Amino acid sequence: MRATAITICAACACTAAAQTASLTDAQLDSLERAWARELNTVVVTGTRTPKLLKDSPILTRVISEADIRKADATNISDLLQTELPGIEFSYSMNQQVNLNMQGFGGNSVLFLVDGERLAGETLDNVDYNRLNLAGAGRIEIVKGGASALYGSNAVGGVVNIISSESADPWRLNLNARYGAHNEQRYGAALSLNRGRVSSSTTAQFHHIDSYDMDGPGDYTRFYGGYNWSVKERLTWTPVDRLKLIARAGYYFRQRNAQAASRDRYRDLSAGLRGIYTFSPASDLELCYGFDEYDKSDYLRLSGRDVRKYSNVQNSLRAIFNHTFGGRHILTAGADVMHDYLQSYQFADGGVKEQTTADVLAQFDMNFTDRLNIIAGGRYDYFSEAGMQHLSARLSTKYTLGRVNLRGCYSGGFRAPTLKEMYMDFDMAGIFMIYGNPELKPESSHNFQLSAEYTRNLLNFNVGGFCNLVDNRITTAWNQALGGQMYTNIGRVNIAGLDANLSWRHRCGAGTRLSYIYTHEHVRHGEPYTASTRPHTATMRFDYTRRWGGYGLTAALSGRVLSAVTVDEYTSLTDYSDTEKVHYPAYTMWKLNVSQTVLQGLTVTLSVDNLFNYVPKYYYNNSPTTNGITFAAGVSVDIEEFFKKK
Amino acid sequence: MLGKLISCVIVPGAAVLLPACSGIMGGIYDDPLEETVAGYGFVEASDGVRPGSIYIDATDYTRWTYIDFSAMRIDTLHVSDPTPAEWDIAIHRYDVKTNGGSACATGATGFDSPLLTPGDMSPDVWTTQTIVTDMSTMMDGYLSYVESWYSPVVSQWLDVDKSTMPPVYTLSGKVYVVRTADGRHVALRLADYMNTAGVKGYMTIEYLYPFHP
Repeated sequence: MRATAITICAACACTAAAQTASLTDAQLDSLERAWARELNTVVVTGTRTPKLLKDSPILTRVISEADIRKADATNISDLLQTELPGIEFSYSMNQQVNLNMQGFGGNSVLFLVDGERLAGETLDNVDYNRLNLAGAGRIEIVKGGASALYGSNAVGGVVNIISSESADPWRLNLNARYGAHNEQRYGAALSLNRGRVSSSTTAQFHHIDSYDMDGPGDYTRFYGGYNWSVKERLTWTPVDRLKLIARAGYYFRQRNAQAASRDRYRDLSAGLRGIYTFSPASDLELCYGFDEYDKSDYLRLSGRDVRKYSNVQNSLRAIFNHTFGGRHILTAGADVMHDYLQSYQFADGGVKEQTTADVLAQFDMNFTDRLNIIAGGRYDYFSEAGMQHLSARLSTKYTLGRVNLRGCYSGGFRAPTLKEMYMDFDMAGIFMIYGNPELKPESSHNFQLSAEYTRNLLNFNVGGFCNLVDNRITTAWNQALGGQMYTNIGRVNIAGLDANLSWRHRCGAGTRLSYIYTHEHVRHGEPYTASTRPHTATMRFDYTRRWGGYGLTAALSGRVLSAVTVDEYTSLTDYSDTEKVHYPAYTMWKLNVSQTVLQGLTVTLSVDNLFNYVPKYYYNNSPTTNGITFAAGVSVDIEEFFKKK
Repeated sequence: MLGKLISCVIVPGAAVLLPACSGIMGGIYDDPLEETVAGYGFVEASDGVRPGSIYIDATDYTRWTYIDFSAMRIDTLHVSDPTPAEWDIAIHRYDVKTNGGSACATGATGFDSPLLTPGDMSPDVWTTQTIVTDMSTMMDGYLSYVESWYSPVVSQWLDVDKSTMPPVYTLSGKVYVVRTADGRHVALRLADYMNTAGVKGYMTIEYLYPFHP
């Protein structure tokens, strides 16, 4: 893969140079170079091999490091809501965060960090606070099914957080941010490069107080708390052909929901990856990963910290790439993962385990410079369910002048989890929730068509998508058992339209506008229980300029979410009847102004909820806000002080 | 065929190769203390000067736990059973009733506080829709109650806000004074409502008896 990466990077440089030469006859300023770099970003998530963003047959949205800085976000949920339409984070029971991405829930969107899965979930969602943005180089988002590459859970899309890499001898960034409700964020990132060894260390601390909402609602108080994390990645290249990457990370979060106890969440992860290059055309990657995610209750009165949940994932992976004739790439691989789950939701806090294994193959065919076709498939096996699944994907890109046309079929699936198969949980004496070992896997057929137009500093793409989802797994009332039970439901069809416009002017002004229309189809006469808002849009208008040693970046970003009326099962009866619930539309805007006042010293001032939106009623999908808030931050790149002017 | 190959070869192989299957952070947690029936009752006796403590299992919605401070006796009986011959207070989950007595809240949060002085005493009230005996009928749109006497004063020792799910529990931390029907006094405070595993309904009650106001 390294050889492939080198080839691609060289191609990037050449392509970028060629493009920039055609943009202007005069010298390009740094802004335009940055724009050219954005267009020529190398992405890996869509194909599992490095590919130029503009050349990838899989439409991939990249949130760059510069975009992450402009958003001034603390974790992935803040960032995704700011940057992407069609994404909504709301609350489910016990104020646990719940994702809806174009009709898909948190358990149908696969979150990865440098391509690695995450252990642990709460109410079907990973711990988004764990995905802080310290050390993040870019985020790649691939929408639609991707199980032919990534297996289970890649039903509605894949979000891959990729760590930044630096070629400088050393870099040290220290940053701090203070905002409303005593919100504090402190971060540090150190990278070192010494010959064949490089190291990257990041740490972040975040705290926010609990506070009451200024009105009635499904929730009336925001539960505050704090979290911190530290991550290390060590790279050693003992010989030119071999690259070894070791990583380790620890994360801790405490939430203050109850007076007498604290909810605690911990994660310990580690891994070792080796990439061996046989020849410029062939490479092999071997990888071992460990991830343990625990939940515990800290009982303040007795001082005891009692674990109630532990999910441990051990995985082994091998990926082989071979390039035929300099242009066709064969990727073949296999994974084995052991999944251990101890949970308070099992009878007597018991333990369930299973092993999953898969083989995959993908052929990336570049017949001409204009036509690229990728075909792939993956076979997955799950020991506990005794279940097998075959996923396929066929993607194509055809370039017509400045227009890229893409078409894709991809299969997605989600295997029933150990929780969904074996849950045996007493819900506060009110009812039981039972697992179902007979569950079938959730599966989807995803079709996408898109057209992308790029000219100089303008990029526009529009596409349509259709997802046919079968056997979606959910809970339903089981009269015989007198409780809730996990079960498969019938087909759900989700279709829509996706449009994005990016434009930048030489003066330093730029904009990004994105819009998504999503429609979830239900059969005539059936209740519309989905809470997906049909129209959503995000907008960003920014301006970046340098005057000598002073630099200014101002970014105004907003999101607009339309209203939606849904049918919800009502507790006034035995949950067999529904009632109409109307969730109002709303818009939220944020203004960030960053000023580089000294070489390496940047001060950021933020105004969140700029137009002072306050929900009349705090639904679980209303924004957690009491109105306009302000924040200030400072970031220091220490190495800049030692650079010669 | 491939499935058999995986289950027979790769799965056992993976189990051998992956020694940290059950995780490595277990050592940082506390194990719940093992609880026995002998652990319930008067854990430490009060002599009227130093406070004592009582630990009871009040997890069952269908039972009252009757406490007799004079005899240091505890009886746990079904809500439909006749009451014991002698008792001072009874506890059902977090609900409290007195045996014909009255109660008040003090400003004290400890037994050595100068604020530990009783104010106006309030008798129990008769309630028909407070003492829940079956939560499971909530799915049918109602809760099952038993009629009973009830001390709204002492029952404030734990606030249970059911407007959200799960409810939010807040201990008042206050010391309450109960005057029995025959004029004795006991001061008591709910110290904890969970056991060492975090299971709710296990009550640790600190008390001072006899209490001379």
